[in-house]
Amino acid sequence: MTHLTIAMAKGRTADKALAFFERAGIRFSEYHDKSRKLVIYDDENKVKLIFVKAVDVPTYVEKGAADIGIVGKDTIMENPVDVYELLDLGIGKCELAVAGFPDKQFPSSALLTVASKYPAVTKAYFDSKGIRIETIKLNGSIELAPLIGMADVIVDIVESGKTLKENGLVVLETIADVSARLIVNKASYATRTSQIQQVISDLKAALE
Amino acid sequence: MVRNEVYPERMLSDSEKFERIIKTINKRFTTYGYKRIKTSAFEQYDLYSKVKSSINQNEMIKVIDHTGQVLVLRPDVTIPITRELVENFPDLLSELRYFYVQEVFRQPFDKNDSIERTQAGVEYFCDSSPEADAEVIALACHLMRDLGFSDIKIELGHAGFFNELVQNLPLTSLQIDQLKSLIQAKNVVEIGPFLQNLDITDEVREVIERIPFLYGNPVDVSERTTGIVLTEKMQGTLDYLMDVYSILKMYGLEQYIVMDLGLINHMGYYSGVIFQGYVERFGKPVLMGGRYDELGNEFGARLPAIGFACEIESLVKATDSREVTSRLSIDVKITYADSQLEQAIAIANELRERNYSVLSFSTHKEQVDPRQSVYLIRLDKDGNSLLYKDKVTPFSDLKALLELLVGGLN
Repeated sequence: MTHLTIAMAKGRTADKALAFFERAGIRFSEYHDKSRKLVIYDDENKVKLIFVKAVDVPTYVEKGAADIGIVGKDTIMENPVDVYELLDLGIGKCELAVAGFPDKQFPSSALLTVASKYPAVTKAYFDSKGIRIETIKLNGSIELAPLIGMADVIVDIVESGKTLKENGLVVLETIADVSARLIVNKASYATRTSQIQQVISDLKAALE
Repeated sequence: MVRNEVYPERMLSDSEKFERIIKTINKRFTTYGYKRIKTSAFEQYDLYSKVKSSINQNEMIKVIDHTGQVLVLRPDVTIPITRELVENFPDLLSELRYFYVQEVFRQPFDKNDSIERTQAGVEYFCDSSPEADAEVIALACHLMRDLGFSDIKIELGHAGFFNELVQNLPLTSLQIDQLKSLIQAKNVVEIGPFLQNLDITDEVREVIERIPFLYGNPVDVSERTTGIVLTEKMQGTLDYLMDVYSILKMYGLEQYIVMDLGLINHMGYYSGVIFQGYVERFGKPVLMGGRYDELGNEFGARLPAIGFACEIESLVKATDSREVTSRLSIDVKITYADSQLEQAIAIANELRERNYSVLSFSTHKEQVDPRQSVYLIRLDKDGNSLLYKDKVTPFSDLKALLELLVGGLN
């Protein structure tokens, strides 16, 4: 039987996810923090792990280049793909939120400017509330935008709230709770059902 | 560096594959008694705006004719076929089987995708029965095997199951859409919290939460449905699916079938059995189909039918990774000295009449087409020769050559 391919991004979430995999009986002893390998196999040579950029995980899974992907809900929301979302790993917990200065009034006539790494989520959220906005797409240091007056508010993931606090910002509204999810390619689920269901039930047992 | 000949080679093999797939499809559909039909490339925009279907109006390619009327480039084939039949048969008196292979045009979401796709499909106009539905699914399996796929899975579901469940619930159409996409993603994480906010009974909530798990071997799935069947109609759809499955077993196809009660009506007009087919290592379904008994009603006629369609471009891609196709080679290549042009043309003509594929080149252009041929004929000033399997046989004229080709070489 061919390998089951799992895609995820390197980092803290991967370390935690691999700990779950180990408890579920899938060990990657080749893996360690300093390793630069992009493809590794588990010890029993049944599963192939590939490391890709987090934002690319949904694409890899949708196209069938990977059977399974581990990725944050925020990334799935920003890049909605046609896959199964079967498990919440409960790691990498944080929230997607609108943040800005406390008690600042916005003139209702002007367009609200929102800076975010998540333009699609931002637009969908404000659309659903019937608020017209201008979105500014940034790739990092989003908190800076309201400080220098480029944006009125930001939409970003908030973990502890420490960065916000140090910059004088607060969470104004929560959009969604975020955690790492396990997604599965639909064709893989159809053609390799028992293999994939086994991995999921082993992982579920390891989560409890 | 990219070698010069790689790109044309690839194009060549893709369109050869394309043609071969269409040929296989034609042949297989014909063996099940289907007749090929064509529909117009331009359709009335109104036809598509009044029928509910999966085709978003933004996806349609619109054209305006000289009277100012809005037309669309055919975005689908099922709807025009049904409309055309209604005009000729206001009531279904006998069964009708049609198939089509033609282009459909849609504005893709992804800019890199192409607007034009080639769709092949069947429409079987007949009353709903497990035998008819199973036959169409069997045809789909049979076709996939013809195309060289051995690892096929057909997911089998029923539009009536989910519809019956949500029909009488106090939900807005937005909420139903959200619920559908959660079920389509088998999103067991978020379905629970989503249902908590709705005004529905615990009983219904529990049933909906279990739908994503109703996937797998049809016998197992049907056992797991005990306790979640709330109405007689739901039980009816389940029994119907099991009847279809037991006929598919008679076709010897049970290893290809999985039941998926979370498979939801994505086309808008499906009313009964729905199915989609996957092959390994290709992320999207390679075929989709279902029963649409109500589509005829939109045009004021009773025309129950079942059908499916597949996209040739996807099938070409899905065969990419496997070596199911051997290259079509040229039968005869003729190279001639410039003075022998007349003879070369005479021989080429004669062989083409006999259905050989023939290429001919002047000797100084010999490498223009790098394809291999079975026979190689050389026409030189001082004599002619035929090369076949490393053996060179001289010949005097056309008649001698034909004798050699017919069997004189052994």
